[in-house]
Amino acid sequence: MTTFGFLSLLLALAVTLWSPNAFASSDYHEQLFLQPLPQSSLLASFNFRSNTSQQAFDNQHFRYFPRALGQILQHAHTKELHLRFTTGRWDAESWGPRPWGGSKEGGTGVELWAWIDAPDDDEAFGKWIALTQSLSGLFCASLNFVDSTRTTRPVVSFEPTGDHQDVDELHLLHGTLPGEVVCTENLTPFLKLLPCKGKAGISTLFDGHKLFDAAWQSMSVDMRPICTSDGDCIVQIEQTIDMVLDVERSKRPRSNPIPRPLANELLACDTSKPYNSEDTCFPLEKGADAAWSISEVFGRTLTGVCPLTGSDGSQEHSVCLRVPHEKQVFITEGSTEIKKEDGFTRCFDLAPAQPFDLSIPEQTIDIPVPGEEPILYAERTIVGHGQERGGMRIIFGNPSNTTAVDFILFESLPWFLRPYIHTLQATITGRDGIPTDIAASDLVTSTFYRPAIDRERGTQLEIALSVPAASTVTLTYDFEKAILRYTEYPPDANRGFNVAPAVIRILNGENSAPVYIRSTSLLLPLPTPDFSMPYNVIILTSTVIALAFGTVFNILVRRVVSVDEAAALGAQSLKGRLLGKLVAIRDRFRSKTTKVE
Amino acid sequence: MAVDRRMIGVFGVAFVLRLLLICLFPSLPDLLTGRVEVSTPVNSFKRLQEGLYLYTRNVSPYDGGVFHQAPLLLPLFSLLPDIHSNPVPTAIFYFIVDLVNAYALVTISESGQSIQSRLHSAVRKHIQWDGVSVAAWFLFNPFTIATCLARSTSVFTTSGILFAVSNAVGGNSVNAMLALGFASYLSLYPALLFIPLVLVCYDRHLQYSNKSSKAVGYVLQHAAILAASVVGLLALSYLITGNFWEFISATYGFHLLVPDLTPNVGLWWYFFIEMFDSFREFFIGVFWLHLASYVGGLTARLRRQPLFVIASLLGVFAIFKPYPSISDASLYFAMLPLYRHLFPLMRYTFFAVSAILYSSLLGPAFYHLWIYAGSGNANFFYAITLVWSLGLSILLADSIFSALHDEWEQDHPDEQGVEVKQV
Repeated sequence: MTTFGFLSLLLALAVTLWSPNAFASSDYHEQLFLQPLPQSSLLASFNFRSNTSQQAFDNQHFRYFPRALGQILQHAHTKELHLRFTTGRWDAESWGPRPWGGSKEGGTGVELWAWIDAPDDDEAFGKWIALTQSLSGLFCASLNFVDSTRTTRPVVSFEPTGDHQDVDELHLLHGTLPGEVVCTENLTPFLKLLPCKGKAGISTLFDGHKLFDAAWQSMSVDMRPICTSDGDCIVQIEQTIDMVLDVERSKRPRSNPIPRPLANELLACDTSKPYNSEDTCFPLEKGADAAWSISEVFGRTLTGVCPLTGSDGSQEHSVCLRVPHEKQVFITEGSTEIKKEDGFTRCFDLAPAQPFDLSIPEQTIDIPVPGEEPILYAERTIVGHGQERGGMRIIFGNPSNTTAVDFILFESLPWFLRPYIHTLQATITGRDGIPTDIAASDLVTSTFYRPAIDRERGTQLEIALSVPAASTVTLTYDFEKAILRYTEYPPDANRGFNVAPAVIRILNGENSAPVYIRSTSLLLPLPTPDFSMPYNVIILTSTVIALAFGTVFNILVRRVVSVDEAAALGAQSLKGRLLGKLVAIRDRFRSKTTKVE
Repeated sequence: MAVDRRMIGVFGVAFVLRLLLICLFPSLPDLLTGRVEVSTPVNSFKRLQEGLYLYTRNVSPYDGGVFHQAPLLLPLFSLLPDIHSNPVPTAIFYFIVDLVNAYALVTISESGQSIQSRLHSAVRKHIQWDGVSVAAWFLFNPFTIATCLARSTSVFTTSGILFAVSNAVGGNSVNAMLALGFASYLSLYPALLFIPLVLVCYDRHLQYSNKSSKAVGYVLQHAAILAASVVGLLALSYLITGNFWEFISATYGFHLLVPDLTPNVGLWWYFFIEMFDSFREFFIGVFWLHLASYVGGLTARLRRQPLFVIASLLGVFAIFKPYPSISDASLYFAMLPLYRHLFPLMRYTFFAVSAILYSSLLGPAFYHLWIYAGSGNANFFYAITLVWSLGLSILLADSIFSALHDEWEQDHPDEQGVEVKQV
């Protein structure tokens, strides 16, 4: 029933193939998987995995497991950790299902979730803060900004992937930083966690310029304990980097990165068009796939193999490529090519300590690599205009004609976006394209909702719902945009605030690997005050208040008299009496001077 | 019977007008519900709906940042049919509340306490409106209509206050305290009306009954009734919500600490957006103290007219309370015609009315420029709220002055019509 992308199947297969070795006390593996995708894109999927025995981990005897990370995890009592750095958008419409079934992918920015061993919620949160602060330093990311407003405790969206024994109580905490810009400063600490540290093996291909220029990239760090039935436990750390490179763009030399238009005579024009002439050209689609090589798209060649791989004697091919066997592939001398039986995968045995390059010339081969459709398409946007209120619209498309898809939608919204859950509405559109309004409760099987509290915590919404076969479901709900104190706005307030992507967990049976989809992050413009005039506002408001209070106070304390009486009273007032005294003194002076004369 | 027929006519036309408005413009209620001038975080019908949705699904509505209204509204509104499929019953419920409020106004007006009370007798008794005119003034005030159509929960506070006053002038002091307890339970600030209200009751008591009672004992007795009614309502609320401190901090704490700075017609929101963090608590204290300070001054100076003190305090609240809306202004405007005899003594009526009209017309336009068009900024709407507050405070000060003038004329019968001055 569940259709799995072949790609993810293969990767999952690779994991299962490795798993017998997983129980060796300590070992390390790495693999690079390359697959050309439609629209001249190239998926490069790097995987690094090392195991260490639980005993060695507890005794702080680190060999392959990075010491820096291990000590942080021990300090924060973290039993399982998942950290993601992602940029860009996976184009499911043209690229198909996500690598690893989306389980090694994060939402745009940084996403972190961990199972923490603590007796109660408060203590778990304290450890969580310790964890985020330490990871912030380790990965040069703003993870220290994951405070209580950005932390949620998902109930059904995530499940531990490891085997947890001998723990009191595990607390799952989840935090996202959708606005975090992932860049080279995050890659360098990531590489330092690897045993070969980017000096040998497939990790030598990482170049910040190329990696963060990719159309989509996701770096992940997963730590989990795995136990056998007889109680032997190992601690596994798995690091992956998946990226989709635009081949044309990556091939541009660094010295001359600006694309320039082709000369007229080099253009391939569709001459059958009636308007085709000397100065009008309809570009002809290229029949052949573009040529590329590792050194061109990654900007460097692969240097040897990491000598620590397969330390337990298992043979693992560290580089694999998925193109039809008919396709011509040139590799550096000294390496060997092994073609797999499926007709589309070939792997390479690399010569140690020698640069390795792989190049595919431009060629036309009409055998498509089999691919599957994703189980579900999802898209989330903000609708409405104005800075006062808006609506969230989430569109789920089920491409299957036979099976319904059950999944959990997990949203963590910032507190200044106030959703009105009573406005949740659903529209269902069949293949005929006619939308029908249905009650949201017909699709939603269960809801977990924890409303936001201003400046304290964000909204957490988990909805389990089901999309029938061959239909598209649109969920909408209204929200209101809060206006903040002027110190709470970021420096560029009118850009808006980032809203974390929704996480969709597809429920496809008990035993299969989890499949996740993440929507893109959203930009939420909030109403802004005038930042330049706090003093003016304080002064003007105070003036109005003083005016009202002063007038009323004046009226209340003063005596009412008639105008004539007021004039008479004027003579007896202090002012009147002073004036009278002045006149008297003046008169006395005058009389004195007259006497002297 | 003629008066009765007039009253039925006015009430009927007011009802039909509201019904016509919602039938001809079915989107009007939702539009008004979304207006910041009408709906504030503490009276918004949309927030009430959200609270109701959570309440009917056994989620605590107070464990969130949206719902800040009194718990007793929840079971009340859960009795009404679903607003989406059947909005008319809820609308009619609000129409009836409006008519009931108008009826309370008729009672207040016809008691004549605004003109002739124990210690005061107005000089220009012949200039006055009868109860139906006062009710008509309230029912056909666009601010009242907008509040009613927007289904703002302030109308219940208005009911509480008007019933407290109408029972007080009718001599039913216990009911007055119960009604004031209800209003205070809903919105907290009506508790400030206790002193003038108990004075109205006391004066009425001395005026019509032979028994004289000690003022202190009388006040304490009524304070106890008020406290008992509030405690009773809080106990009921506790039974509904199950978590006492949670709802106290989400409702009264919210009123007192003003964490939500959604724009409204008042002076607080922009001031506290722009306030420096370290001074925020201090100024919240100052603002509340300022609001409460009017009670003592007005009551002491206008001891002879406690009902006028209530009317003036309602004006003060409409200007200076943390989340004011036009419903507060409409309540003040409803009380003003009771003092029709003061109008000839007022000096700045034209200026005040112009400022109020100017701001009520330009307010929505400037809000649009800021929020939707993007061609103005927050200062546009802020400036209008300043003008609005200024207009209301001129009206307030002017009416207080004319009340004092009236008292002076009563004391100096030989100098009626003479120009006066304050020294």
